[in-house]
Amino acid sequence: MNSENLKTSAASAIVQLSHVDKEYQLGKVTVPALHDVSISIQAGEFTVIAGPSGSGKTTLLNLIGCVDVATRGQVIIDGRNTLELKEKELTRLRLDRLGFIFQSFNLVGVLDAFQNVEFPLLLQKTLGKKEREARVQALMESVGIAQYAHHRPGELSGGQRQRVAIARALVTKPRIVLADEPTANLDSVTGTAILDLMQELNRQGTTFLFSTHDPRVVARAGRVIRLFDGRIEQAGTESARADEASAHAAPQAGGQP
Amino acid sequence: MILFRIALRNLASHKLKSFIVGGLLAFGTFLLMVGQALLGSLDQSMARSVTGSLSGQLQAYSTGAKDKLALFGDMNGGSDIGTINNFKQIRQLLEAQPEVQAVVPQGMDVAMVYGGNIIDVKLEALRAAEKTGDRARSQVVRAHIRRIIALLAQDMAKIGEVTDLAHASTETRQSLADLQNCGADTFWQNFDRDPLAAMEFLENKIAPLALNADMLFFRYMGTDTARFAKEFELFEIVDGTAIPPGQRGFLFNKLNYEDMVKHKTARRLDKMKDRLADGYKIAADDDLKAWIKLNKDQYKDVSYQLDDVAAAQVRGALQQALASKEENLDKLISQFMDMDDQNFSTRYETFYKSVAPHLMLYSVKVGDIMTIKSFTSSGYPTSVNVKIYGTFRFRSLDKSTLAGGVNVMDLMTYRDLYGFLSADKKQEIDALEKASGVKEIKREDAEAELFGGGAGEEVVEVGTVTPTDQAGAVTAAEALAGDPSPAAQAPVGLAVSPSPSAPSVASGGPSSAQSKSKTRRWSDDIANRVYSQDEIDSGVVRHMAIILKKGTDERKALAHLQSVADAAGLKITVVDWRVASGFIGDFLWVIYTVLATALLIIFIVAVIVMNNSMVMATLERTKEIGTMRAIGAQKTMILQMFLAEAVVTAGVFGGLGALLAVALVARLHAVGLPAMNDVLVFLFAGPRLYPVISPMHFLISGMLVALVALISTLYPAWLAMRVTPLEAMQDAE
Repeated sequence: MNSENLKTSAASAIVQLSHVDKEYQLGKVTVPALHDVSISIQAGEFTVIAGPSGSGKTTLLNLIGCVDVATRGQVIIDGRNTLELKEKELTRLRLDRLGFIFQSFNLVGVLDAFQNVEFPLLLQKTLGKKEREARVQALMESVGIAQYAHHRPGELSGGQRQRVAIARALVTKPRIVLADEPTANLDSVTGTAILDLMQELNRQGTTFLFSTHDPRVVARAGRVIRLFDGRIEQAGTESARADEASAHAAPQAGGQP
Repeated sequence: MILFRIALRNLASHKLKSFIVGGLLAFGTFLLMVGQALLGSLDQSMARSVTGSLSGQLQAYSTGAKDKLALFGDMNGGSDIGTINNFKQIRQLLEAQPEVQAVVPQGMDVAMVYGGNIIDVKLEALRAAEKTGDRARSQVVRAHIRRIIALLAQDMAKIGEVTDLAHASTETRQSLADLQNCGADTFWQNFDRDPLAAMEFLENKIAPLALNADMLFFRYMGTDTARFAKEFELFEIVDGTAIPPGQRGFLFNKLNYEDMVKHKTARRLDKMKDRLADGYKIAADDDLKAWIKLNKDQYKDVSYQLDDVAAAQVRGALQQALASKEENLDKLISQFMDMDDQNFSTRYETFYKSVAPHLMLYSVKVGDIMTIKSFTSSGYPTSVNVKIYGTFRFRSLDKSTLAGGVNVMDLMTYRDLYGFLSADKKQEIDALEKASGVKEIKREDAEAELFGGGAGEEVVEVGTVTPTDQAGAVTAAEALAGDPSPAAQAPVGLAVSPSPSAPSVASGGPSSAQSKSKTRRWSDDIANRVYSQDEIDSGVVRHMAIILKKGTDERKALAHLQSVADAAGLKITVVDWRVASGFIGDFLWVIYTVLATALLIIFIVAVIVMNNSMVMATLERTKEIGTMRAIGAQKTMILQMFLAEAVVTAGVFGGLGALLAVALVARLHAVGLPAMNDVLVFLFAGPRLYPVISPMHFLISGMLVALVALISTLYPAWLAMRVTPLEAMQDAE
């Protein structure tokens, strides 16, 4: 019954975390980062992971982003159990299913905006040149940076850079876009504009998962997951609360009979 | 493609790093290319010089050799390279192999020859004048001889001033007495009473004291001269003719001939002319100044040779040339030889027009019969007469004393000099010697009898030889030939007794051993004998040149021929020309080593610098690499990115270096690299080297540079592959 439950929720959810612990080893000391975290994120959500510094936001994002592995528990991304995947397969999973937006944009400095956006498609090697360029062009237009296509990141403002980064994250049509404090390095006006853009993209169907401690971002969220000392606190919205309850309930239900 | 774009951009964005690394790689490639081009051309030109002059592509010598064969290395030729007694068999076997064009027998040695002696020449002239009864001519020649004797006496007197004659050897005192004796008027007044006795006295007692009777040393190669001339492509006759096939004979190397045999003053003038033509100035060149000083100081070399008639003519010509009223010929010559940049060419012309015709310009001339002295393999002195047919040169090596120092002699004469006889032949000769009688010769015919005289042959010099040895040599030659000519049946072992008072002819005698006597009968039978190929091939040789057909792979041929020879039990060692040539071959190896060491150092530095800078770049780019990994780049892609960077760096800067090298070599090819000395002339196979770059050089350079780039990339690439995608998130918390 338990396993069936998990299957059904995993099938509908893009991200499914069950009782995840994450510990870091610092010498002989074990530092717990996350404890008993269970989350489920459905397609089309606009979710924020909120919490103070050191609460485990980034660790959680890293586990979902498949750049780190859980110490205990299950992390299922788009129906695949990341614990069972090899490094190479994880990398491919990141490439095909996930999009990343970084706090400090992390563009490749020697490539221009267009090439930065194109880069994941080149790694995928699935699209022909024409199709690829058309997609990049369209995407750059939709995030409003088409005119900067041949500028290097160094020649762009922070907001423009983050738009390039957003386009890069979206170009592979990922199942979910993970954004690690995307507005932290931007002034408030630009930050707002970036949030507007992401919200607009969300309306068009992209699933977003943020980490942030910026209240303005939290205010915009469709759902908030609050972390404190590596544990999930009560969520801030109705839907989030409900989700969390169900996420907690499922294994409990399975564990009781 | 994106990887190359990233690589190129990275290169462009790290200018200083790229400049240093690139500079090293470019310089390394440049050096590698130029070095290869030069060495390649050098190897080819050396091959041409060595294989086309003396060595052939391969050489073979006895396995019994104690030393290594060194055709150009060992100047005395005395190194023990063994002997080959079965040459005929070896030749037949080797020439039957498909890759072999010819096998040429060889043996190198050094010959001693007395330089021309002016008294000998003048006595010859006197004898000719006496014979024809030309009284006027005889008087002129007599006066000249007296003058030479007077000069000799002066020199001897000077020796007397510095040394105590009381303690001098009896020989020296006897010589002084002899000089005084024939310097006196009475000797010349009595000359006509017994001219033959007087001439004999002069010849045996005075001529050996003459000033310029110096020993000349010639390196020569005894060989099958016809085959040598045919198979060595650089060989060509300059003066005279080739040695007729199968006959005995000697060919001077033109350069050797000019350097050693030509009148020293004339030779210096020639060399000055060449050097001036090369753009040097007397006013600013030490060599030229030194030659002028020698010519000025050694005026006697000229005046000594002039009899009164010639002296008067030369005096007149020089007075005119110098616009001088000076009567003293020595002073005139000295003044004349004091040349400068302005008057050199006119004086050079005047010298050859008015002075040279009166001089013995060459102490040995084409057509002369020369007596060569040597020591046999068993250490006995021996001597052989041989006719000089002409001079030759190795094309394009004219100016190199390395190849230019080797003269050519027939194999029969070489064997006589080398003195290698088998036991049974030795016995045969001993028997012949015992059987040979003594023949009375009329005194007036003695010269003719001894030297086959009157045939227009001028005997230049004869070495000191024990009579038995000579007889051995002469009879050996004839006995070996198995010729039923009278000479062979009754060989004449002759020794003219040194004393005019003892005119009898005797065979042997201890006194003749130290006397300078003309003891060899030069018979036309020997000079004109034609030896069959079988006879030429049947005796001893020291080593042999194996000439390969065009386009044959030397290495394969060497291995094949060695195995063929071994299988047949021939006991020869086959080596290629590099090994056979001795130090010349080593020379190339030394250059290779120096270049390789330089390149090794440059490339090691390049690897270190490149590795270091790439490690730095990797650390700087950790975040970028992490980001790439996070958004889905595999580890292999990161490796590829680094490799691409290495390839681009190597390609761009290696290409730049190669381009520079091509430009330089093209320039060198157009103007030629000048050979600064005669070793280089030899190595360059001419006065200039024209290097070329071949596609092979590109390939090798490209591979080496790529390898260097690759090695420098390995460690940083490994570091980069260990960067985790987590690095991309580093600044999040």
